[in-house]
Amino acid sequence: HTGTESGGTLPDKGTGCILARPSPPLRTRCPCRLQVMLLGDSGVGKTCLLTRFKDGAFLSGTFIATVGIDFRNKVVAVDGVKVKLQIWDTAGQERFRSVTHAYYRDAQALLLLYDITSKLSFDNIRAWLTEIHEYAQKDVVIMLLGNKADVSGERAVRTEDGASLAREYGVPFLETSAKTGMNVELAFLAVARWVTGPPAGAGGTRAPPGLTRSCRPPQGAQAASGAAGGAAPLPHP
Amino acid sequence: MAADVHKKKGWEVPNGSLAPGDGQHAERAESPTPGLAQGTEPGAGQEGAMFVHTRSYEDLTSPEEGGAAARSPPEGPGEPPAPPQPSSMEQISKDFSELSTQLTGRALGEEGPLEAAPAAARRDSLLPAKEDEDVTMDAWRLRRKHVFVLSEAGKPVYSRYGSEEALSSTMGVMMALVAWSPLPGSPVVFVRRSPLVLVAVARTRQSEQEIAHELLYIYYQILSLLTWTQLNHIFQQKQNYDLRRLLAGSERITDNLLDLMAHDPSFLMGAVRCLPLAASVRDAVSTSLQQAKAKSLVFSILLSGNQLVSLVRKKDQFLHPIDLHLLFNLISSSSSFREGEAWTPICLPKFNSSGFFHAHISYLEQEMDLCLLLVSTDREDFFTVSDCKRRFQERLRRRGVQHALQDALRTPFYSVAQVGIPDLRHFIYKSKSSGLFTSPEIEAPYVREEEKERLLGLYQYLHSRAHNSSRPLKNIYFTGPRENLLAWVTSAFELYICYSPLGTKAGAISAVNKLMKWIRREEERLFILTPQTY
Repeated sequence: HTGTESGGTLPDKGTGCILARPSPPLRTRCPCRLQVMLLGDSGVGKTCLLTRFKDGAFLSGTFIATVGIDFRNKVVAVDGVKVKLQIWDTAGQERFRSVTHAYYRDAQALLLLYDITSKLSFDNIRAWLTEIHEYAQKDVVIMLLGNKADVSGERAVRTEDGASLAREYGVPFLETSAKTGMNVELAFLAVARWVTGPPAGAGGTRAPPGLTRSCRPPQGAQAASGAAGGAAPLPHP
Repeated sequence: MAADVHKKKGWEVPNGSLAPGDGQHAERAESPTPGLAQGTEPGAGQEGAMFVHTRSYEDLTSPEEGGAAARSPPEGPGEPPAPPQPSSMEQISKDFSELSTQLTGRALGEEGPLEAAPAAARRDSLLPAKEDEDVTMDAWRLRRKHVFVLSEAGKPVYSRYGSEEALSSTMGVMMALVAWSPLPGSPVVFVRRSPLVLVAVARTRQSEQEIAHELLYIYYQILSLLTWTQLNHIFQQKQNYDLRRLLAGSERITDNLLDLMAHDPSFLMGAVRCLPLAASVRDAVSTSLQQAKAKSLVFSILLSGNQLVSLVRKKDQFLHPIDLHLLFNLISSSSSFREGEAWTPICLPKFNSSGFFHAHISYLEQEMDLCLLLVSTDREDFFTVSDCKRRFQERLRRRGVQHALQDALRTPFYSVAQVGIPDLRHFIYKSKSSGLFTSPEIEAPYVREEEKERLLGLYQYLHSRAHNSSRPLKNIYFTGPRENLLAWVTSAFELYICYSPLGTKAGAISAVNKLMKWIRREEERLFILTPQTY
């Protein structure tokens, strides 16, 4: 298949975000299940992003630190195919690192967040990517998200900086807002789409969920990863 | 660093099984008398205890094993030697009429600090949020109880009110204070548990011993996040380490623990309260829990609010009430467990302060206040343990006890009116051998928050007098302007009752008798008499 099909469906909205165009999926997976993990410093809005995606609500009020890791399910439809997203929300604090590490390898997709109002959370992204390289699957799909895009008055990280870091590592990038919902669904659906691959059958007939789609990665998939320091399976756009 | 219970050899439960020897169970008297041997009082387990035995809070203040306490806080000498117990009701009456200790509110100085306390509590609610709080302002000084934790090098670790940064000079002053020994009767209490120093500045009526007891809970709370081993290792490596980095995000848990200790008698009693539930329903729940086991599971705990519904444990492994309180606090301190399934490392410091368990925490149904806690030894076992939850729920459904459980959750507390003693306003009864206690809902006239706190304050006062390390008391009769209280501590149970200020001492004695009969009658519903193991 060609990649433009799935990549082309992701809108490049005029919200100040730059979306790296996804390339063809390197692994076609069983569409029935996909494990996604949210990573990033404490307080960047991982739980809020998940709550926005799952329940369409914004957790206002005081910050409540996630304890350990938190497992939730959501079924989404990608190109008419049902995908069960199993989402790991993680605590950003250092003392929970060991439990997070234990579940890295199960994740097929990682959403790596920073807070656009916190330079520190952005600077720590490189450290996160090093850690991902160490613990996650080699062909894991990574997406960089600059959250809290609605708080433009306190912006400390320029959109260009986020985009150029993402380019450097060859990962797609979006700016999101859990508060307004901007790009939240898009981010989750995008990783779902990359991992599940484009709809089977060019003729337009959709495969019933969990039945006909191959769970095996196509031959040669490994050759393409390795680029960008192995941190991302996607070649440079 | 898994707390591997399978390999642990050095760990012992000296008092783990406190059930009295065979034969004694048969003697569960209709009407309990103070002559009851431990293990036959109302609420005592029929097949052994669930918890490691704890002698109320003396246990907390006794020196840590393994050198955790470089210098221990004020210590109780342990259980006062129990004098020979009278065995008949006449004897009880005689005992109370010759009460060694009769206290009055006036003698206690009730008009003073007691009146001041609610005013301070009211002020609390108007005070600004933690971070915004200006530590130079009077409002900050007016807080009822300040709690600080610092390292021995004087680095701030935790402050209940105001940010630690703003307080760093205060911390310095406090380090100077640590060098002195605090003056008797001073409102400043220090507990030193190397490498940490815990300080409370209190304007409450608690005894120094009790404040030290609360500080130790805070210490255990910190251990539950880090383990004793890690904490010590860190400070051995770097004496002036800033521990806040590792504790980030846990301030809410510690704040919640301090608030909980001001409201929930569980901490004072060093015991656990059960959700009132028909024995058949509880048994069905326990059996379902027991059947949904996995190799790595050590404890399966079902709780509602801060009340225990059921606890199933691995054979020969006993939970300590303090550890359970820390688990309760963790759950009540965060709304993030309401959805999804959480998996977190947790150290149960009284069980094993050197390793982490991994706890699976989830609510059974979102609308129901029923939280399931599965404690595993294996960090990698999330999916296995998650499957235990699914199996447990399936079994609950199959047994058809969900409705009964839901009904019980609708009335998580019983009314004191059920006891049928007109002047009785409230009571706390603790069975020492099971480590469980029961207490009705706090009702009128203790409606406002500060009134409830005042009542708990009175219980705290009686408790501290009863357990005073230099002069413990068995019976206390307290008359105050707004209520009378009576405390009765035996080797088998502790009872605190609060009744109308118009009631007489004779009335109180007959109330105790009636109440004990009622508790015996209701014990199946109020306690867990047959704890299960996997």
